[in-house]
Order: sequence, then structure tokens, then C-alpha cells
Amino acid sequence: MGFHIVKRDTCPLWKKACFYVAAVLAALVVGGILLFAMGVNPFAYYSRMFTMGMVGNKIAYKAFENYLKVFVPLALTSVALSLAFKMRFWNIGGEGQFILGSVAAAAVALKLGPSLPSAVTLVLMCLAAMLAAGLYGVFVAALKVRFGTNETLLTLMLNYVALYLLIFLGETKADWNFFLQEKSARPVFEDFSALASFPRIMLGKFGLNICVILTFLIGALVFVYLKYTKHGYEISVVGDSAGTAHYAGMKVNAIVLRTVFLSACLIGLAAAFKVGTAGVLSTAITEDVGWTGIIVAWLSQLNTAVIFVVSALISVLHFGSVQAASTFKQVDSSFANMLQGAILFLVLTADFFIRFRIVRNQKGGKQ
Amino acid sequence: MKKFLALVMALAMTLSLAACGGDVSGEQTAGADLKVGAIYINSKNDTAGYTFAHHSGIVGGMKDLGLDPETQLFIVDEVPEDKQQVLAAVDTLVGQDVDIIFGISFGYIDAMSEAAETYPEVIFSHGTGYLSNETNFNNYFGRAYQARYLAGIAAGLKSLETGNNNVGYVAAYTTAYAETASGINGFALGVQAANPNAKVYVKNLGAWADEVNEKAYAEELINTFGCGVISQHCDSAQPQIAAQNAGVFGCGYNSDMTADAPAAHLTAAIWNWNVYYATAMQAAIDCEGDASKFVEKMGGPAYYGGLKEGFVDASPLTENCAANTDKAIAAAKKLMVDGEWDVFTGVKLSVAADGTITQADADLVDNAGNVIVAAGGPSVEDGVITGTMNYLVAGVEEV
Repeated sequence: MGFHIVKRDTCPLWKKACFYVAAVLAALVVGGILLFAMGVNPFAYYSRMFTMGMVGNKIAYKAFENYLKVFVPLALTSVALSLAFKMRFWNIGGEGQFILGSVAAAAVALKLGPSLPSAVTLVLMCLAAMLAAGLYGVFVAALKVRFGTNETLLTLMLNYVALYLLIFLGETKADWNFFLQEKSARPVFEDFSALASFPRIMLGKFGLNICVILTFLIGALVFVYLKYTKHGYEISVVGDSAGTAHYAGMKVNAIVLRTVFLSACLIGLAAAFKVGTAGVLSTAITEDVGWTGIIVAWLSQLNTAVIFVVSALISVLHFGSVQAASTFKQVDSSFANMLQGAILFLVLTADFFIRFRIVRNQKGGKQ
Repeated sequence: MKKFLALVMALAMTLSLAACGGDVSGEQTAGADLKVGAIYINSKNDTAGYTFAHHSGIVGGMKDLGLDPETQLFIVDEVPEDKQQVLAAVDTLVGQDVDIIFGISFGYIDAMSEAAETYPEVIFSHGTGYLSNETNFNNYFGRAYQARYLAGIAAGLKSLETGNNNVGYVAAYTTAYAETASGINGFALGVQAANPNAKVYVKNLGAWADEVNEKAYAEELINTFGCGVISQHCDSAQPQIAAQNAGVFGCGYNSDMTADAPAAHLTAAIWNWNVYYATAMQAAIDCEGDASKFVEKMGGPAYYGGLKEGFVDASPLTENCAANTDKAIAAAKKLMVDGEWDVFTGVKLSVAADGTITQADADLVDNAGNVIVAAGGPSVEDGVITGTMNYLVAGVEEV
């Protein structure tokens, strides 16, 4: 008795949705079994995780603010990555672009923050971060269109160049290094939160950071850009087939350069939002959004609206896990990474079953 | 799903806002209901290294006081030295109504300082830092250099016995941090007390933990510089294992590393973190719910315990040690416990072959020839040892 795999012609939306929901549930069950094996009640853990420890918490508004601080950079970075991925340009360099954006924004905040009005500083921080990250990204795109280099490898390796630059800045006490505090004998990043912080809209005790609104706005713009503009159309044609695009008279190289620049710019903007909220650099400034963003973009199948939903959920997973882990002594904060891996793996499996179905071989070799 | 989440969040927020008006202050804290919070740089499930040492200390300290780590300890672990993430971890712990929060990593310093202002009803205690206030925020560290001096005596006597004057030291950093510089200097002065002709070669890792290079640098010290004893300031026991593999000797750090390298290990400079944690938690209990009394109860904003408090020590000597090492170490330890002498002073100890110790006035000189303390002078200040010591003493060479 054998079986073989047959490609599905279509898969109705409800069926797709069922597959994905089942995959996520299966991942939670896998996590639940592991929790149970560690002697933790999975229901207690998950209920704390999904409510992010806000039930019965006297400072729940802070927890929600902290949740949004995780969500904003992730959502924006994922949206940015999806632009490049739509064109089949594998930008694995989100981390590096984010880091350069952070450094540029921090440089503006520290150098210009003391002399300029806050609003001007914030705008300049965003522009500097976008330019730095954009150029870092477009550098790889230029090499690709000019010399046919592999962008996956180059963006990946440039992540480490950026990371070690940041570590160098963070560990090197010197007269020129204005990123560090002068008063501290040990190297500590200088705080600029008072000079340049994104404003918050106070709703009672809860402060809604303006970056949250901007992120949703940018998401809507990208959605329109991809769906209804000529540029968006060009991106999808280049993604489907560069040859077709070329034949149709599109300037493929220009489209690649333009889109990668835009993608990296938005990652830089995410970085500016991050440092403009944190008020200080750190060597862990990215919180891995460059990596997690790839997973989010992929899980969302590059659909901008879905990216926001998935980012929100993955952020619940990460932030909620930390909250839950603080009360369960057996579970450490890396449980979220395991769960995220399980979800990705099982959603990819679901993806397979959406595209293909498994058919048993019938007797006599007939179908 | 999103709607459901939004509902849950909205519900949680309403509930919490309603709860906010009520009982924030005024509750009494007795030992039985003290809630302890901790922020770790690595996993609380680690089985070795820095976080493990602190976690064991906190759990041990709680047990010393009859507190229950299962129900009274809340931990946010794997928190990098990132202000925003540390503040979020503080929020998480404050949300669990903890009374005291320990932050174990140096880079938490600004976040801890800021959080102490935001939450005056909570006690903040920061390991290895130097910031504090007069009410609810202190810092703590130990005189590891004293324990290293004792380990240095063991290394020095061993070098005399083997006739090899070269001693190696794998250091996380050298003069970049006062912590590492004072560790190297304390060890080297101990070595020189036993063997005035000894030379200490230091390799700089440039990282607090880097297992691969910890091993490689130890091997280089042994093979290239002919070192016969390897000391270390790094997270793993790799330098000790390298020493054992090469048939030479070593002094570990942080915890007793005899089990890792039984044929090589002499003694390790160790921390008994539970000594501090029990003291701090007792002070928190004594505050009876008024966090602002904490610094007063601790007797000052900076806790800096040493051999006297039992906070640091030399681990039990192994059979690999040279004869009379036990006597010499006991005598030197007694001087420091009694407060009669300290390492960075203008008085030098000399260990005789029979293990007895004599004192003599001598300049404390760095390896560039500058006099740090003139003969007979008092100890350099604690602030220098913890904050600004950026030189290595004579007889130490960075290679």
C-alpha cells in the first residue's frame, strides 16, 4: 500500500484557515506536552501567557505599554522585509540594517538633541536612520544587479559587520566615542531619553506612544503601495519573473534598487522608533526583530494586513512568555523561541497540505 | 483571535485601573510574605557560570531565612543589558508585587537607578554597580581581590616547588574594568608574597565568557610562555582543564573547580553570594513594608563584603598544593579577617618556607613604575578598587 502526492488546484479560504489554525493549535499542544513534562500546568501557563500577566496586575497599563514596545519594531520590520521578499530579494539583513539605523538615530539624538527642538530632532533621527539603513541595504542590491552576487549571503554577513560595529561602539571608551557616558569608568551607553523621546498620548495612566499610530499608518500606506500603485505591480512582476518584467519593458535593476532601498529604509525607521522610545542604545537593541521579522513575513505570506495580526500574536508569544515564565520556576524565557519554532514548522507543514494532498495508491496502479 | 485578545486586554486593563486606586502602600511585610524579584542575564536553569552563582545564592539565602523560593521568588531571566528591556522586566516584577528586586548584571545600572525613582515602594539592589540613593536603592559587590590574594599564595608556593616562575592568567578584561584589574593585581601580589621572582603573564579575552578562547589562551600561556600555574577570570573551567591536559596546575574562579580538573586544581577564589542575599533580604524584612528604610538598614548604600563576612573565600585546598600552603593561607586570611592588613597597601607580606608570614613596608608599584601607595601607606580606597583601578602591578605583563 503506497501513496503519492498530488498538487491541489485550489484550496478554499475556509480550508486554508482551518489548516493554519490547526497548525498553531498543534504547536501549542506540543508546547503543552513539554510544559507538562517539566511539571508545569499548561493551562495555567498559557492563560498567563495569553493575558500577558495583566490580570490582577496593578500596573497592567505598563505591561501593555511594554507589549507595544515589542510589537512596533517587529510589525514595521516585517512589513519592510515583505517588500523585498515580494520581489524575491531575500533580505536576511534586517538585523544589520536595524542596527545601523539605531546608531544613526542615536548619533543624531546625542549630537543634535541638546540644541534642536525635540520634534525636529525626532524627524532628523528618523531620516538619518532611514538613510543609513537604506544605504546599507541598497549596497547589497547594487552588488546584485551589477555583479550578480548572492544577496542572501551578503545581507546575512553584513548583519555581523553591523553588530560588531555596535559592540565596538559600546565597549570602546575614547574621546571621540560620544555614544558612551563620560562619567562612567566602565563603558555604558549614553542616555538621550530626555533629549529625544517620541511623544505619548495619555489615556488615563496608559501612554500610547505615537510610534504605534505611525506604524499602523505606514502599514496602510505599504498595503496601498503594493496593491494599487504601478510600483507595487512592478514589484510583483519582478518577483514572479525578472525575465517577463524585462520583456515587458520594465527597468528591472532600477526596480530592485528602489524597492530594496525602501525596504531597508523602513527597517531604519523601525530602528528610529525603537531608540526614540528606549532613549538609549544597547548591543541588544534589535531584540532579534531582523530574524523574527523574516518568520512573521513568511507566516503572513507577505500579506501586509496579515503581518500586523501575526506580529501582534508573535509579540504576545514573546512578551507573554516572559510574564508567564517569571512565575514558573522551571520555565525560562526561551520557551517562547521554542514555541515560535514549533509554530513556524507546523505552519509550513500546513502550507504543504494546502498546496498538495496525499492520495493513496489504488489497487492495480490506477488512481 | 485578534478580537478575543482585544477583549481580554480591555478587560485586564479595566480591572487593573479599578484596582489601581486602592492599596498600593501601607501593607506590612513580614518574612513569611516577602516577595523577592530577580533579573538575570542568562537562564535561571543554567548549571554553571555567573547567573547560576547568583541564582544559587538567592535560593540559598532565602532558605537561610526560611523563605520559600517556590512561592516567594519571581525571576525574569535572559534579560540583556538593554535599558528598555530591563525596565520592562522591572515592570513585570513590580506587577507581581515583589518587595525587593535584585539585578545581577552591571549593565542594568541606569535602568535600576531609574526604576528606583519610579517605584519608591520597592527596594532595588544592583550587583557590581556603583549607583545608589539614600533610601530604596543600593549596590553590592565583594572583595574578590582578597580571595584572589589567597589563591595567589597557593600559586606562588606551587611555582617555588616546581621551580617555574612563570604564572599565567586568563582574564576577561585587563585594565578596562576595575573588577578585572583588581583581580589580576590581587592574585599577582599573592603570588609575589610567596615567590618574589614570579612573573604573571595575562591574556585578555575581551569577553566575560568565551569558552573556546578561554581554553586556547590557557594553552598559549602554557606552551608559549611556559606557565606552570594558570589562574583565570572567566566563566568556564576551560583554563583549568587546559592546565590539567598539559600537566601543569591552576587556580579557578567563581566556584570550586576541583571536580573539573582534579589533577591540576589548587584552590579557587570563590563567591558565597548567599551571604549577601540573606543579609539584604533580612534588611528588606526589617523594613516592615517601608522600602525607604532599606539603605539605612543595610548600613549604607554600597555593600562591599570580603573574607571577613565570608562573602568571598578560597575554596578548600587540594592535595596538589605545595607544602605549608594551608598555613600560609590561613595566616594571611586571618590578617584580613581581623582587619589588620589589606592587599593594596604599603605593607607587603612575605611567606616563608614553613608557611609563616612576615610584614614589611614596601611601595606598591604598577608595572609602568608609578608608585600607587608609598611604603607604609594605607590601602587604596574602595572606590578605586571597584571603580577606577586601571593599572596592573609590577611583575604583571599583558601578552
